[in-house]
Amino acid sequence: MNKGKILSACGVSAGYGKNNILHDISFSVGEHEVVGLLGANGCGKTTLLKSICRIIPYNGTVEICGQNLRQLSAKQLARLCSYIPQRSGISIDISALDVVLMGFNPELRILETPNAAMRERAMKMLSLVGLENRAQENYSSFSEGQKQLCILARSMVRECRLMLMDEPESALDFGGRYLMLDAVKNVTVHHPCSALVTLHDPQLALNICTRILLVKNGEIVSEIEPEINDLSEMEERLAEVYGPLSVHLCKGKNGKDQLVLIKE
Amino acid sequence: MQLSTNSITNSMVSATVKRNNVICAVLILLLVCIAAGSLAVGKYPLSLEKLLAGDEMQRKVFYNLRMSRTVVAVFGGAVLGICGFVYQTVFRNPLASPDIIGVSSGASLGAAVGILCFGSAAAITASAFAGAVLSVCLALLLSSADKTGKKSTIVLAGIAVHALAQTALMCLKITADPERELASIEYWIMGSLASVTSSRIGGNLLICILITIVLLFLHRQTILLSADEGEARMLGVSVSQVRLIVLLLATLAVSAVVSLTGLISFIGLLAPHIARLITRSNRISTMVFSGLTGGILLCSADILARSVAQTELPVSIFTSLIGVPLLIFLTLKGRNMS
Repeated sequence: MNKGKILSACGVSAGYGKNNILHDISFSVGEHEVVGLLGANGCGKTTLLKSICRIIPYNGTVEICGQNLRQLSAKQLARLCSYIPQRSGISIDISALDVVLMGFNPELRILETPNAAMRERAMKMLSLVGLENRAQENYSSFSEGQKQLCILARSMVRECRLMLMDEPESALDFGGRYLMLDAVKNVTVHHPCSALVTLHDPQLALNICTRILLVKNGEIVSEIEPEINDLSEMEERLAEVYGPLSVHLCKGKNGKDQLVLIKE
Repeated sequence: MQLSTNSITNSMVSATVKRNNVICAVLILLLVCIAAGSLAVGKYPLSLEKLLAGDEMQRKVFYNLRMSRTVVAVFGGAVLGICGFVYQTVFRNPLASPDIIGVSSGASLGAAVGILCFGSAAAITASAFAGAVLSVCLALLLSSADKTGKKSTIVLAGIAVHALAQTALMCLKITADPERELASIEYWIMGSLASVTSSRIGGNLLICILITIVLLFLHRQTILLSADEGEARMLGVSVSQVRLIVLLLATLAVSAVVSLTGLISFIGLLAPHIARLITRSNRISTMVFSGLTGGILLCSADILARSVAQTELPVSIFTSLIGVPLLIFLTLKGRNMS
């Protein structure tokens, strides 16, 4: 399925001040993949994502589409990657449409403003996340879940090669989680791009991600490919992070297979 | 689906544009009326007949004093409003103002040096401008020691520079002649447009106009800076550089105004809040409305400053008198202040 590497991390170590969180992490993400990062709180998932975004300094080598991350300008990096933080820092009064239009900034010159085609595209993305009727409403008045959907629309407004998402579903309801991650998966299936997503819900990860990296104490301890690994392998690897659990295969009413996780 | 989305976008955008155009026209009309009132109000009575007849005294008062004073009130208020918007957006703080990085205290110190060492009005203006710019440069230099480039570091450096400038100002006040120099320093700090004349405003006005145009062009970048630093960077913004440029420009413009007028309170704080109340958002129209509202507020306060008493009063008394009830109204309304 993988045609080429979009992200390649080799020997990445990072942390905050003298506190080293990540220890010599290496992995890669190929085209059309949705790669989930699973692990307990404080294991280093967000730190890894922030390193790839260059929000915090790191040691090691990270390449995006074959280009060394350190040699990319902010604009070049933003052209290749979109990013959804755990919580967006936008706290001023601004319309949802204007928030989505921010996503076009990497394509615009410093004094340029978004054109009509960009506005239409932004509206289309808002429509995709069910917010088209609230485009002119104040983003700050939205619930946390609606804000996350709005930021998802912003991250998908351009076709980036890599989508980096830090617990994008944390504020969403049950339906919203699947809506968001199905939308992401759909984009990666139809376009030559991929997504790296940190998640807290292993069941969601098993059903959405093409590959899961299990992080523990700042290291990748194992990997799961839900379409390839059998249930006992998945149980064994997930147990390393979450303790005893069982994975079951169920069929939904639509006939689609779903993996269900039970904590033992 | 495509058609309906397009039509929704177009109708929403055109409705917003139409509404903003109407509000903009109303604000401009109001500003023009207040500016016309400002030309007419003052100790020396002016008559249109004598002015048109070419009366020398009337012409001097009108062109040298009233016109230049009104122009400074309109443009100065507009600059304070627009720069207030910039500071509040960049620092993501609804109470942010030029004081946050030491502009006002630097200008006060510069003005005090000008009053004590030179004495002429032009020298005081130049010295206040230099003081404001130097204090901000010092704040930005101190903040550059922190390589992470956090905006909280800029605020901390601004507080340190503010404290330093205030201390130096206190020392200068102690050495000042209490009858003449100390009174001049205090009066300058209270702010007034009384000493504005046509010969002093040219350079400052040019700086203000040029910077305002550039800041309006940079509105999109300014609004992007309101996101978290990491988030803004991932949207392709070179955060440290853009923030430095925007803050430096805003500071230069504010310095150009306060060096002429002395410290003017509340305009930079209030005008953006009023503009946001009108637009219910932060976009270029909000920035323009901040400028128009700032001009209206300062021009109105200046009219009151020279018309309510026998002697001319400091303009900041009236900007505060207008500002405080508006601030209370905005706080009670609960908008824009969260």
